[in-house]
Amino acid sequence: MANKKARGPDKAKPNTDNIVVKKQEDAPDIVRQPPVFTDDSKYLCIASGRQVGIYSVQSGDKVHCLKNHSFDIIGLAIKEENVLYSCDTSGEVIEWDINDGKLLKKTSIAVEGLKEFYSFHYPRNGKFLVSSPSINEDGSSLFMFEGKRIKKIFKDVGKETQSIAFGCDQGDGSLVIGALNYQCDGVMVKDTKNVIDRKHMTDKRKFTCIAMHKEKLIMATGDISGRILIWHDFVNQIRPVKTVYHWHTLAVSSVCFSSEAEYLYSGGSEKVMVKWRLGGKRKQFLPRMGSTIKFIVNAPDNICVATSHSDNAIRIIDSTNKINRAIFGLVKHDPIRGLEDGESKKESVMPTGLVFDPRTQGIFFNSQAGFLQLFDPLRDSMIFNMDIANRNVLTDERNTVIGNAEVFRVAVSPTGEWLATLEVWSNMSVGYHDMNLKFWRYDAVQANYELNTDVTMPHHDRITSLAFQPGLLGTEYPCLVSIGRDLKFKIWRLVDDTDIYRQKESWTCDVAGDFRKMMPTATSFSEDGSLLAIAFQDTVTLWDPMTINLNTTLSHNLIEESIELMEFGRDQCFRYLVCASKSSLFAWDVISKGLVWKVGKLRSPIRCLVPDPKSSYMAVVLQNSEVFVFAPSSSKPVHTITNVMSSEPIAALFVPRPNPLANSPEWLVNSRLLIVDDQQEFYSVDDNSVCGFDEKLTTPISHMDSLPWTPFSAIKAQKQISAAKQIVPVIHQTNGIKGYKSVQSLLETSTSTLPPMSRICNSFMIDLMIKHDPKSMTVKADSENGATNDLPTLMNGHIESKMPALKEEATQQKLLTLDCQWITKN
Amino acid sequence: MASFKKTQIRSLPKIGQKVTADTLYWRKLNFPVTVKEFGPIDYIDVMPIEPYFIAVSSAAKVQIYNPITHQVHRHFTRFKEAAYGASIRSDGKLVVAGCDEGHIKLFDIGSKSLLRIFKGHKGPVHRCKFTADNVHVVSFSDDKSVALWDLPSETEIIKFSEHSDYVRAGCVSSISSDLFLSGSFDHTVKLYDARSPTGSTISVDHGSPVESVLMYPGNSIFVSVGGTELRVWDMLAGGRLLARVSQHHKTITCLHLASDGKRLVTGGLDRHAKIYDVQSYQVVHTLDFPSPVLSLGITPDDFTVVAGMANGLISMQHRQTPAEARALIPKQSLKDQKKSQTTYRFRLNADFRNINRTFNPATDVEVATKNDNSLVSRYDMFLRKFQYSKALDTVLGKYIRKKKPAITVGVMHELIRRNGLKSALAGRDDSSLSIILTFLARNINDPSHSKIIIQVANTLLDVYENSCLTPQSEKLFLHLQEHVNREVEYMKHLMEIEGMLHILLASTTTQTRRGPVNIGQGPPVKVMLPSAAAAANATMVYNVG
Repeated sequence: MANKKARGPDKAKPNTDNIVVKKQEDAPDIVRQPPVFTDDSKYLCIASGRQVGIYSVQSGDKVHCLKNHSFDIIGLAIKEENVLYSCDTSGEVIEWDINDGKLLKKTSIAVEGLKEFYSFHYPRNGKFLVSSPSINEDGSSLFMFEGKRIKKIFKDVGKETQSIAFGCDQGDGSLVIGALNYQCDGVMVKDTKNVIDRKHMTDKRKFTCIAMHKEKLIMATGDISGRILIWHDFVNQIRPVKTVYHWHTLAVSSVCFSSEAEYLYSGGSEKVMVKWRLGGKRKQFLPRMGSTIKFIVNAPDNICVATSHSDNAIRIIDSTNKINRAIFGLVKHDPIRGLEDGESKKESVMPTGLVFDPRTQGIFFNSQAGFLQLFDPLRDSMIFNMDIANRNVLTDERNTVIGNAEVFRVAVSPTGEWLATLEVWSNMSVGYHDMNLKFWRYDAVQANYELNTDVTMPHHDRITSLAFQPGLLGTEYPCLVSIGRDLKFKIWRLVDDTDIYRQKESWTCDVAGDFRKMMPTATSFSEDGSLLAIAFQDTVTLWDPMTINLNTTLSHNLIEESIELMEFGRDQCFRYLVCASKSSLFAWDVISKGLVWKVGKLRSPIRCLVPDPKSSYMAVVLQNSEVFVFAPSSSKPVHTITNVMSSEPIAALFVPRPNPLANSPEWLVNSRLLIVDDQQEFYSVDDNSVCGFDEKLTTPISHMDSLPWTPFSAIKAQKQISAAKQIVPVIHQTNGIKGYKSVQSLLETSTSTLPPMSRICNSFMIDLMIKHDPKSMTVKADSENGATNDLPTLMNGHIESKMPALKEEATQQKLLTLDCQWITKN
Repeated sequence: MASFKKTQIRSLPKIGQKVTADTLYWRKLNFPVTVKEFGPIDYIDVMPIEPYFIAVSSAAKVQIYNPITHQVHRHFTRFKEAAYGASIRSDGKLVVAGCDEGHIKLFDIGSKSLLRIFKGHKGPVHRCKFTADNVHVVSFSDDKSVALWDLPSETEIIKFSEHSDYVRAGCVSSISSDLFLSGSFDHTVKLYDARSPTGSTISVDHGSPVESVLMYPGNSIFVSVGGTELRVWDMLAGGRLLARVSQHHKTITCLHLASDGKRLVTGGLDRHAKIYDVQSYQVVHTLDFPSPVLSLGITPDDFTVVAGMANGLISMQHRQTPAEARALIPKQSLKDQKKSQTTYRFRLNADFRNINRTFNPATDVEVATKNDNSLVSRYDMFLRKFQYSKALDTVLGKYIRKKKPAITVGVMHELIRRNGLKSALAGRDDSSLSIILTFLARNINDPSHSKIIIQVANTLLDVYENSCLTPQSEKLFLHLQEHVNREVEYMKHLMEIEGMLHILLASTTTQTRRGPVNIGQGPPVKVMLPSAAAAANATMVYNVG
């Protein structure tokens, strides 16, 4: 739509240059790199994005946050007691003091020809091990830095951290380095002191991870079949003795020796940590750990083990094989596998999208399979993680994907009291699927959600959209619309199910309808909840939500594609219904029932269409990460941002600010735009003047609270009551020209839809008359003082112009009933 | 470590009577003891104090029953013709009864002697009551009059002749000795105050001949029955109608309060007694009787329910005592025993503590919590160990598959989820295969289970497609096919009917929804009515909590 505008920033608008896109850094991935225990096993150092968090093992709390890197960290290592090395992708190595969280030294290992790094290891004798991209695309080369000397150890090793191991220091200062080659079919071993090079191969099973003991000459490898091999004397022997430990059915993702090489820990996507006793038959299990184990790290004093999981959590397991503490980041959703081909990436990565919760000002979206999390975007923290499906998380078998119940859609009622969730579980291999629509009510006393109603198979096929009716005053029973691929739309209402024994309310299907056997594709309620729009492929239908009477169908020759996203305008643009199909964007005027504008042939498919709840603007996010902000009344974008991110956006949301932002474009005054990409990283489109998130939260602290206590302060009264009345300035409620709105609405409504003159004449005249009640007299007196605004406020126009439409219907119905009576009487 | 979550068993809520606290309470009544009298039981009155003797008037006698022994304690036969409406005084010493000849007779229960005869009515007296001060009697007679009598002097104090038909119902206020209520066949219910001899203070129209009236203990509300209707009136608002309840399909004959005035019981000619909640007038329970109920009596402690019937039967039902309940269900008592054993085991621990009195549990002592594993059912245990065949075997046991098929289906559902159904079904011998096949055939047409059962049946067919079967199993497969064919036939019929209904509905909607609302170019949209929608979609709604 804005191909010309997209070329550069719009100079005409104020402050638009200041708009920046920032990656949310405070809720990052904490499991990308394995965590590191300090020597005394008291702290756990966790790399997350560009920073390092130091956590107490005892309490699981964050002690320090070390920030200085400007690139993502690729490795952590303990240099000596309480000194931590961290290295980022650019090769910058920083030494930190763990105790006080201070930066000690900053060096760079980047030299000519070595600019980018994959992994970083520190075997503790002043030597670094780093892997750097090699000529071969898939692999990397392993280098050893010793002071200023660089030595190439291996070429063509795997990129991952798990494919490099070192150790076997048998007291003579020797160092054995082992690595998996990038094809993962062999283990390369190098003894740096005795200069022995070996390459061991086994059968065709590919290795996934390697570990070496610190002192003993022993090595463990895991492979994709779930087998663990323990290699003995692998440096000197060409055909070393191997012991096989096989319990895992899926690939082993991490192996780890205990400090005395008595035990071996292993884990993988079975979500089970296995503790093997080496040389014995016994093994212990820790099942149902929540999600796939990525890394296992053993504490130096053997007291505990830390496991990193794919759901962005690190769990600390004590010596009795119990989970002692867990450190959570923002939970990441494992992408759903086995969906049909036609599904977009959003359906697999984050099927719920971002759903705003008005009660907490948080955002609902997927966490683990069957879970839903509420995230606070202001504080960048998770409020809670909620089990929706209440099912055991199933793991895959070796050759079959076993799906779990996944939360697919979420809707929150306008007050935040009700939460509707749709969980879907489908087994593609047997063609069976299962759906549950659950209604949860927030219990303010218990401070959690309680399951109210659970509907099995609410539709015969997948529900594509859920929407609560907005604009209710709280007196009516809430109402939810669901549309499904079984060509039906259903209206769900809360019904009173109270009897003399208990008070109860539950949800039930009120109406199920369809429209010309067409597939409903999108649904939206108008801002005041008085109109329900359902898009059936290329046709938009407007319904009265109370009676479910079809008001209007809107279709046009220009629109051929199926509508995928649809939103009513807010605020001043309440009358516009913005629809997005795969490559075009258009708006209907629901009052004049005409197509207002259409923008076709967009460069990339539309991914999200989000209205700003605090203003009348909307944003459209394209697949190539272009963002257009526009008012629904015109097709001209207010702002265009290109290249928001390098990855693909999947969901977006306007998040209200606690305090309005002055000196910024109108659409950023009250809210900012959050975008999520397919890596589930959050990006914020915001004004440049807003720096940190903390600043917005600062509440003015009164001096009284912060001052120390003195005898004089005790004398001073805490509250002062005065009999003198405070003068409150009168605020004008009604100003403008008398009857302006009715005239305006009369002019705006098309003549074909106007009711007969005789019917509207009366109300029209009443609107023009001046009402003589004392209240309006005072207002009038005030307005004469010159503070009046001659133009009508648009808010008034908004309310007033809606009224005639409703009246019109009422009269028509009256006519109809009269008509019928007349027939029956004759 | 997250704990193992139990397999979710989904069962549809049963349609029909729900089990509520009231049904459980009233279901505890034992099998009735019946006594046969010669004539229909006109009236039953319960002594308000212990031992809750029951006065039964039928034919030409009044009998006083002991509710515990069911024996006749006293009987009064000094009536020439039928005796009516015997009523016991609140101190349990005197009984008063009306009779066909228009007299009202007062007896002493202790000595059986006839103490007073009040003469003055010209027609039979069907109801008579002691007033709250215990020294007056109110009588309601077929000569259309209501009279107040003085006990000591045996004289008539006042007489109201306002009704235009037989007065067959009446009651007195339990707090005020001057207020009494009469209900007549002329459809009116009148409230009298003995202090205002000019006439009734309130008169309300019931709409049908009044069979019985009742005044609530609070004196603010009274209830009248007649025809098939129960009407509730507000006395303080001058006889405003509060509620009209019609739950019987034949004439309601009697009224009684139960459960400390929290429940109202009506008996009718339709052989039912309905129990209402006095707040909402919803029926909470129904008692059934073999013959039309004419009179009801319930002891104040709800222990005995007595009903008199048109064929002369008196049914007396007792509430089950806990001991009786235990004797009836021996299994439960076994469970109780077990429970006591376990508590004993815990007590040992406590005793140990008592011995070591000096022992002080320090703060760092770890308290071992009880393991929840004992609550895990067998099938969950097998599912947890991935032993799918065993899990399926467990739920195919005779009791579960017959009595609780929802559990079997729930486990099958879980097996489908876990992709373990094929391995669970494979390699079965003839007998276990026949169990599965019979189960499938029996449940395949149950709408709440059919989706999963069909899936299981398909998998079963896939598994045993190419194996040779014994004739017995083959027969069962054919049996299953027959079931499916029959169900398909039914569905076709139903769809035909649904189509017909749609035509009807569509024609009605087009009639009502004609007008300018529909601007769209197509034909009017079909919107199903809620009921039709519910029937057509058959979504299963589970209410939780």
